[in-house]
Amino acid sequence: MKKRRFALGLPFVLAAALILALGVSNGSARTQKHSAAIKAAWIYVGPHNDGGWSQSHDKGRLYVQSKLGSDVQTTFKENVPEGPQVAQVIEGLIRDGNKIIFATSFGFQGAMVAAAKKHPDVKFEMATGTAQSKNMAEYFGAGEDAIYLSGMAAGAATKKGVIGYVVPFAIPEVIRHANAFALGAQAMHPGVKVRLIWTNSWFSPDKETQAAQSLHTAGSDVLGQNVDSPAAGQYAEKKGIPWVGYDSDARKFAPKQWLTAAIYNWGPYYLRKTKAAMGGTWKTNFYYGNLKDKMVGLAPYGPKVTAKTKKAIATKRAALIKGTFYEFAGPLYDQKGKLRVPKGKRMSVKDLYGMTWLVKGVVGSAKG
Amino acid sequence: MRIERRLRQPWWLTIVVPVLSIVVAFVLSAFVLLLTGHPPLRSFHRLFDAAFTGNGALSESVVSATPLAFTGLAAAVAFRMNLFNIGGEGQLYAGAIMGATAGLLLAGSPSPLIFAAMIAAGAVGGALLAAIPAILRAFFSTNEIITSLMLNYVVGLVLEYLIFDSHSYLRDTSGFEANVFPQGKTLPDEATWSSWNIHGLVLPLGFVLSIAVAGFVWVLYSRTRFGFEVQVIGDSVRAGRYAGMRTRRKILAVMCLSGAIAGLGGASQTGDFRHQLDPRGLRSANYGYTGIVIAALARYNPFAVVLVALLLGGLQNAGFTLQGADFPAGLVGVMQGLILFCALGGELFVRYRVRFAW
Repeated sequence: MKKRRFALGLPFVLAAALILALGVSNGSARTQKHSAAIKAAWIYVGPHNDGGWSQSHDKGRLYVQSKLGSDVQTTFKENVPEGPQVAQVIEGLIRDGNKIIFATSFGFQGAMVAAAKKHPDVKFEMATGTAQSKNMAEYFGAGEDAIYLSGMAAGAATKKGVIGYVVPFAIPEVIRHANAFALGAQAMHPGVKVRLIWTNSWFSPDKETQAAQSLHTAGSDVLGQNVDSPAAGQYAEKKGIPWVGYDSDARKFAPKQWLTAAIYNWGPYYLRKTKAAMGGTWKTNFYYGNLKDKMVGLAPYGPKVTAKTKKAIATKRAALIKGTFYEFAGPLYDQKGKLRVPKGKRMSVKDLYGMTWLVKGVVGSAKG
Repeated sequence: MRIERRLRQPWWLTIVVPVLSIVVAFVLSAFVLLLTGHPPLRSFHRLFDAAFTGNGALSESVVSATPLAFTGLAAAVAFRMNLFNIGGEGQLYAGAIMGATAGLLLAGSPSPLIFAAMIAAGAVGGALLAAIPAILRAFFSTNEIITSLMLNYVVGLVLEYLIFDSHSYLRDTSGFEANVFPQGKTLPDEATWSSWNIHGLVLPLGFVLSIAVAGFVWVLYSRTRFGFEVQVIGDSVRAGRYAGMRTRRKILAVMCLSGAIAGLGGASQTGDFRHQLDPRGLRSANYGYTGIVIAALARYNPFAVVLVALLLGGLQNAGFTLQGADFPAGLVGVMQGLILFCALGGELFVRYRVRFAW
């Protein structure tokens, strides 16, 4: 009995040895190819064609590739889980000769910081993060400004005055986005309620569909979202209720019900930083893009948005760019009606990065 | 054509079949690669390079293999007695929670003491969790597959609660960064597990521990009375009972041992690699479920479990190296799937033979 068991395990030992042996003989014969083009890499937490966040970054990558042509060689790693795997993926990219690496999910930050310390000759770019060093830059866009505008479209579309908003994690980034959305909706439809459902995941189409369904049955007649997939939009299209997307232009998933979406346009930033890395002029930064430099913007409108709404949004947009209007300027009240930002005060970017309370009119918990 | 059971299994079959299975897997993959316009030989070369032979690649495969070795061993230990502990996933979480707590509580103590405490705490955490389905099975004949599986979700949510929905001891609530995204407290330096560098191959403490556990399991199951009884009960509970073996006690012991090993995997995740309690990372990794596949591939042989874990860890890493702008992630998944399918499917030809007779 004992002997047999050992014998049965043996084949795998041998197979392993065989694979190792094959690998060794192959590895010794390899030749290194050198090329003049700079190598740049992107790391995505979801699929590169998720129709949302990761896709917006991949669009930026393709923009860099098309602008620089053969001077750059871009690649990406998708579906990278947050954890020890990230460090391995980064190491692999550096081994492949990548000189600038863009990581696009907050959970990659720890591994990026460690890798930046270890590889001073490689430039690290971290989206949505907070840790900055000599060879690691941070960048993000003021999504809230564009989300405010998309919230206006939602506010104008609701008849019952209840909008459903599918949200991932109860973190300041998402809380400020939900707040901006609600404030925008309230600007068009005073007293409107924005209902939240948390999915505890950036990209999870089935949870997002469930959330959309719950929000719809709870009385929402317009849906919005801060999650990455277009699942809620597909649900909205089926049920015939308007939908506001996020991150990417996802019109094709809900051609009839699409209103608009706050989108990110990373291309110009990526191009600028890749060029700088090529020319040796790369510098670290904490970049916070906005409507003015077009890092954030609005996707094209769907058929349901009226001319009146478009005009109202255009006015607000111009005011945001000019600086005569800011959605996070006082007076701002929280869910219980307590005054959080007094009249005449504006929230700073740092305040926004630490926002843990929801504005009046939002139904749901800021704790997830 | 008929398929019939082999009465005797010639010894050479156990070598030829797996080797052929892998060859078949590569031939099939080569077809897929050719059809999608990728050079097969270069792709295979990159795969091996990324998994084993590249600079530092083996060390990284070891990192991926470590948790899989633990969950694989955990599954193998229980499955040998026909006790289906599907709860490796949750037991690993429990080990991670307990390990992180021990590491944080003992900050400032000498490292060896902290390591020992974290290892012990991880094992206890996993064992205590596994004790629940074990007691239910031993005394109330509850199906342990269901109970252990369901507990995975319970502990998974506890894990998330500790970091996302509460201000628990394990959550970092100080500073700007912790406010931006909820995260676990980082372990002090003295609580990060050591590793050994042997000619460029980095062996983390956890991996060495998993080999030691494999040795322990092998001795326990093939050299002791306990192991003999476990095998008898695994083959036939009634036979065991007639022979006067205490089956309930064995169920409890084996289940807790299995849980403890999975818990060690969790402690190792915290101590070796993550250095904080990381609910999202742990939950998305699916170590526990992959461990079951590994145990099956290794046919419950503890040393083979460690090797198969290394192979699968390498395959996983290679997947990330292969994929890129010109190589879709889905294609990597197809190749990995083909290799696993052929390796498992080849087993059929060891135990059965195909007769071409009408």
